Parts: sequence; C-alpha cells; structure tokens
Amino acid sequence: MKTKQLIPLLGALTAVVMAATGPAAGQANYPNQPIRVIVPFAPGGASDFVARLIQPGMSQFLGQQVVLENRAGAAGNVGMDVAARAAPDGYTIFLGNVGTISINPSLYPELTVKPEKDFIPISIVADTPGILIAGTKFPPNNAKELVDYAKARQGKVNFASPGSGSLNRLEMEIFRMNAGLDMNHVPYKGGAGPAVADIIGGHVELMFTTISSAIQHVKGGRLKALGVTMKERVPAMPDVPTMLEQGFPANVSSSWQGVLVPAGTPRPVIDKVHAALKEALSDPKVVARMAEAGVIATTNKTPEEFKAYLAEDAKKWADVIKKTGAKPE
Amino acid sequence: MDLFNDLALGFSVALVPVNLLYGFLGVLLGTMIGVLPGLGPVATISILLPFTFGLQPQAALIMLAGIYYGAQYGGSTTAILVNLPGESSSVITAIDGNQMARKGQAGLALATAALASFLAGTFATLVIALAAPTLAEVALQFGPADYFSLMVFGLVAAVILAHGSVLKAIGMIVAGMLLGTVGIDVNTSVPRFTFGIPQFGDGMDFAVIAMGIFGIGETIVNLERTGATRVYMQKIKSLWPSLQDLRAMLPPAIRGTLLGSALGVLPGGGPVLASFSAYVLEKKLSRHPENFGKGAIEGVAGPEAANNGAAQTSFIPLLTLGLPSNAVMALMIGALMMQGLHPGPQLMRDKPELFWGLVASMWTGNLMLVILNLPLVGMWAKMLTMPYRFLYPAILIICCVGVYSINNSALDVLIAALFGFVGYLLYRLQCEPAPLLLGFILGPLIEENLRRALVISHGDPLVLVQRPISLTFLALTAVLVVVLCAPMIRSTRDKVFAEESS
Repeated sequence: MKTKQLIPLLGALTAVVMAATGPAAGQANYPNQPIRVIVPFAPGGASDFVARLIQPGMSQFLGQQVVLENRAGAAGNVGMDVAARAAPDGYTIFLGNVGTISINPSLYPELTVKPEKDFIPISIVADTPGILIAGTKFPPNNAKELVDYAKARQGKVNFASPGSGSLNRLEMEIFRMNAGLDMNHVPYKGGAGPAVADIIGGHVELMFTTISSAIQHVKGGRLKALGVTMKERVPAMPDVPTMLEQGFPANVSSSWQGVLVPAGTPRPVIDKVHAALKEALSDPKVVARMAEAGVIATTNKTPEEFKAYLAEDAKKWADVIKKTGAKPE
Repeated sequence: MDLFNDLALGFSVALVPVNLLYGFLGVLLGTMIGVLPGLGPVATISILLPFTFGLQPQAALIMLAGIYYGAQYGGSTTAILVNLPGESSSVITAIDGNQMARKGQAGLALATAALASFLAGTFATLVIALAAPTLAEVALQFGPADYFSLMVFGLVAAVILAHGSVLKAIGMIVAGMLLGTVGIDVNTSVPRFTFGIPQFGDGMDFAVIAMGIFGIGETIVNLERTGATRVYMQKIKSLWPSLQDLRAMLPPAIRGTLLGSALGVLPGGGPVLASFSAYVLEKKLSRHPENFGKGAIEGVAGPEAANNGAAQTSFIPLLTLGLPSNAVMALMIGALMMQGLHPGPQLMRDKPELFWGLVASMWTGNLMLVILNLPLVGMWAKMLTMPYRFLYPAILIICCVGVYSINNSALDVLIAALFGFVGYLLYRLQCEPAPLLLGFILGPLIEENLRRALVISHGDPLVLVQRPISLTFLALTAVLVVVLCAPMIRSTRDKVFAEESS
C-alpha cells in the first residue's frame, strides 16, 4: 500500500520540479519538436476520425509536425494510461472522450489514472449526438409510444449496446429509470456495427447509438428513429424529435471528444494548444467533413469552461452508474 | 444487360493506370505481409490508412482491398513452406501443404494454392457483381442463435481435421476454447483469467499463439533432428502441376469456392470457417481419406479456394449495407468516412463507379496475384534447401518481430515463446495444434452468440430449435456426430493412427 501511495506523490513531485525547471526554458519557443497526440482507439473509429481531421490545422498553427499515435485497448484505458504518464511539457496530448474521461473512472475502480487529477482539460473538439433507433417492424414510433409499449411488456423488450460500460448502454439505463421501464440488455462487442446489424435484422428491438452509425440506415428506411439526444433537432434529420421535447430532459447527452494534457503542463503551453484547436476547428472544410458524418465541430472558449463541463459530465455518469447498478460485479 | 454495363463501368475505373498501380501496390503489400508471419492485414491497413486520405476514393479502396485479399494469398506461402500459417485462414493449408513440401512437392503445393485462389477470386467477383444485395439480405436473417448453431457445427467438424486420436482432437479443441475465454467478459465486464495483467483484458491475439506453437515450436522440434534429416527437403521435384494434378485439384477448388463464397458473407469467422469446412468436406468426399494430413493435394486446393472466396465475399455486407463483417471491413468504413463517403445502401446507387470499380479491381487484382506469385514459386521452393542453421534462426527472428508488431508489446513475445514450448510438448504427445487454434477462434464466438441468443429469448433455450436456420445447422451437427461415431470410420481412423505412430 505504502509504495502505491508513494508513486503518485513522486510523480507529482517530479512534475512540479520539471514544471519549475526543465520546460521553463522551452516554454517561450514551444513547440520546437514534433507533438504526439495519443488516440486511445484503433484507426478508423470515431476518435481517430476526429483526430485526423484536426491534425493538419493544428500542425500548421503550431509550426510543428503533429503525430497521431493509436494506443487502443481496455476501453481506451491503455492509451489514457500512456498519456497520463507522459512528461507534462505539451509534447504529449491526449484525445479523450466521454468513455475514457467521464465513464471509465466510475466503472473501473481499479483504474490507476484519475482523469480529474492526472489531466488538465483544454477544449472539447467534437460532439456526436445520440439517436434512439429501432427496427422497422417494432411498433412504437416515438419515445412516448415506446414507454406505453414497454410498460405493457415489462422485462420483455430487448435493447442492444456496444458494450456493458458503454455510453449508449447508460443512455438507455437513464431512459429506462426515468420512465419506470424494465428492459433487457443485450451487449455486443466490436463497436456499433454488429449491434446495428442485429437491429436491422430484427433480432433485437432497439438501442441508443451515435447518429453517424445510424443515419444512412434511417434515411434508407431500414431503421426508424425515435428521438435524438441533442437539445435541438439535428439539421440532417429535421423530422426526428429530440428526447427533450418528448419529455425526457435527462436524455440530453452526447458522445464528445476533447483534448487534454498531462497535469503539470505549463499555462502558456495550454493556451497555445487551445489556440491551435480553435484555429483547426474553424476551417470550414473540417467542419463540413465532420457534419457529413453527423459530428458537430465545437470548441470551448476557455480551458476552464471545458473543466467545468467535464466535472458535470463525470458526476452525471457516476450517478447513473450508481443508481442503475451498471457496474461490473 | 445491366450487368454488362455495370461491369464495363467497373473495368473502365479499374483499368485506369493509376488505379491499376494502386491495385498492384495493394496486392504486393498484401502478399508481403501474408508471407511475414504476425503482421496481418488489420495492422497493415491501420498503418497505411492515413496515407490513403490523399488518394482518390477509388484508388484508396482498391489498394486497401488488395492488401486484404493479397494477404490471404501470401499467408499460405509460409504455411506450406515451413508449417507457419501467416494468417488464421491458412492454418488449414499448413496441414497438407506442409506435408507436400516435406515430400518435395513445395512447388506443386504453392502452385495449387495460387491457382485455386485465382479460381475462387474470379468466381467470388462474379458473385458480388450478380447477387450482392440478395446475399446481404440473407446475412441479415442470421441471428445470434443461428450463428451459435453454425459455429457448433464448425467445431464438431474440427474433430475430423485431426488424423489421429479423436480423444486428443477433442482435448485440443477444449484447450483452445479455454484459451479463448481469456479477457474481459462481454456481458458482465468481469475479467477472466487475466491474472491482473491489463494486456490480457482484450484477450490473447491469435497470431501470438499461432507463431508460438507453429513457428517457435517447430524450431525446437527440429533441434532434435540431426544432420541430413534437418534439411527440410533433399530434392525439389514437380515444381509445376501436371495435367493429372490439375484434374485432381479442380473439383476440390470448385467446391471450396462455392463453400467459401457462401460463408464469407456471414460476419465473424468467415474465411477461417470457410477454409476448414472445405477441408472437412474434401476429406469426407475423398476415396482416400487416409491421405489427408500426409500431403493430399485436395487438402490444399479446397481450403485455399474457400478462404480466398470468403475474403472477397466478406465485402458484400460492407458494400451493400454499410455493415462491417470483420475488423478489416470496419477499417474500410473508416477509410471511406475520411473520404467523405458513407457506406450504406445508397453508396451503390450514388457512387456506382466506386462500387463497380472495386468489384472489377478484385478480378484484376487476383490476376496480378497469380502473375506475381507463380514465378516466385521456384524461388520459395529453393529457400527450403537452405541449411537449418540459417533457415530456423531467420524464422525465429521474423516470428518475434511479427508478434511484437501486433501491439508493440514485449509481453506478447514472451507469451509466444511460452507457446513455443507448448507446441513442442504437443508434438511430443502427438497432439495436433490445428483443432486447438480452431477452438480458440470459434470458442469465444460460440459463447458470445449463445449467451446473446439466450438473453434475447429471456433464457428460453428452445430458441435454438425454433429458428429454421439454427435448427438446420443443429441437425447437420447431429448427422456429423453420427458419422463420426460410425464404427467403419473409426476403424479407418485407427488404422491411420497406427500407421502414423509406427
């Protein structure tokens, strides 16, 4: 136990010393070497997509190469661990998301990384709305009809998710809890693809997923959309009502990606990265490319705004996990 | 007539010099990574993905697809030459292919693999062109219960793979299934057999186990042999297939093509399931089942055709519905999204040049693979005359580099080394490793689908017999068990076993 407590202490001390001496000289001319961005998921996924779109703009603004490093594994925890242990000099940046930063700490008590202590948030970069989808043969057409239908069949309706501790599962748990429904959870692995396929095939009834993985099927008439989890309707699907307007205010949630740096990174470096992100995300081409995939490009005005958002987000999911018992036993 | 117009459009895209060039680069890279064990298509495509963003969407997709089916071609090369399957789908090829190589027929085995693959590639291209949307609908009909029954059928069939003791084969399958349970459980998120090591959370990689058992294990086995017997092959004979060989390989290749093209459409273990179903089928149909496991040409032609056919038809769900059937296809979706394209039913209608261009490129790509690989056959076969002291250290190094490159993890190399000793032990105990690897691949799929089917049915096991698809496969499994237990078969088996151990 003693050594375990000592390690973070030593880490913090080193960080303080390094912040005071090492990078101080380098701060003025930051960056003077390539910067690596740790993406905690495999290439081709949602986080990788966002990272590759902001990479050129950041690189141009900072005048240094920005290198992406995909460190996938253990629901993003492997990459998060690598980033948290990196030197806090601004040359290692972490692309976190709702799963790694807000959900995993409550889900995996043995996690050594504590995001709120080990990272300094800089800014959100992308926001992907969620959507409640169902197979075309499933009778309910909106959230209200779903509540009535499921109430008459308590415990009988099956919902899918891309994993036990996934955001999409928790979104359904909130909905279920507030509507007083008992539904049956069917977890999948390997991302949203296989779960969406089983909904299209009619093997499972419904699920929450990201707009990007469902929009083509909804437009093609193979799935129906019962609601979106944004505050406002999504421009690409103006006919689909929000969960909020259907009377489910707790189902306003999103799958976000954001940039963080290891704790101890000096303020001037943070400000410079923040400015680089703002610049990269103001490129209309980047915004349009993200929009095509159902992703909203967005930034925070200040790092503090992101910090406050994260505190709220983490608390919200911790509550949901506690109340619904979604934790692994 | 529409088909001709569509195919003409496809070839007009595929034959543009720049697309031909990227297609060639793709199959060349694919062959190379297939030959280098450990480095698989998923890792390679991940690394190359960023470089494709600057290309035209057609060129990008043609190259990535080429890497994937090129790897299926290349994977069989090391399986045949040194009993080291580079990809999971070439585990089966190693059984008879390597025996052929030991008999001095390495060239013939390689040529058989290449020709069977080309036949399957041509046929699968036609299947995609003619029936892609229909087949995609069929695949959607498969629910978790159906997958479970299909996989059980596959696993029982795996017993036939072994040419020795049935009991040992079953033991190997069970051991493989147990290894497959390592990792965080999908349903409860509870870690199983991870011993607190975070790297085990996502399970063990197939390549780590295969490299260990086959690559490192084989090297240790060869340490025991002395002098002349250490040389893999004294004399190269029959580099090219004779007319008689062609006649022997054609029917199995056709059957393998059909089986592979059908199974490839289904997500999950497509090419793997295809290659060993084809093997089992050939062994059952053969008038000389006792030759299987000792260098039967049918045992190479069938599975090789099946895995290449399956690799190609696994594009069908992606291209027609936008649904990935395996990790490589998921990467393709990422590649398309970076190009601003969204795979789905609309893709075929809105971007016909992309869809038909890719289909046509599969055929040109397969042609390039044959042209690329046939001249290399002689060179590969000569490699086997290399003395032990050069060949095996090289294999060991390539294995270690390959295993390390999967996750940049030194732990994986240690685990592979451990499995090297396991492989040696299995050799001494005369247990065959192929059923173990199939158990390892199919076990987790069976568990996942069974539990999912039962969760969906609220715990009612009758769902397995109420769904027609599931019932069909269970009935087939029952037939297979009866066949297995039939005394006539058993006596042949024992005879084979006796011959082997003598």
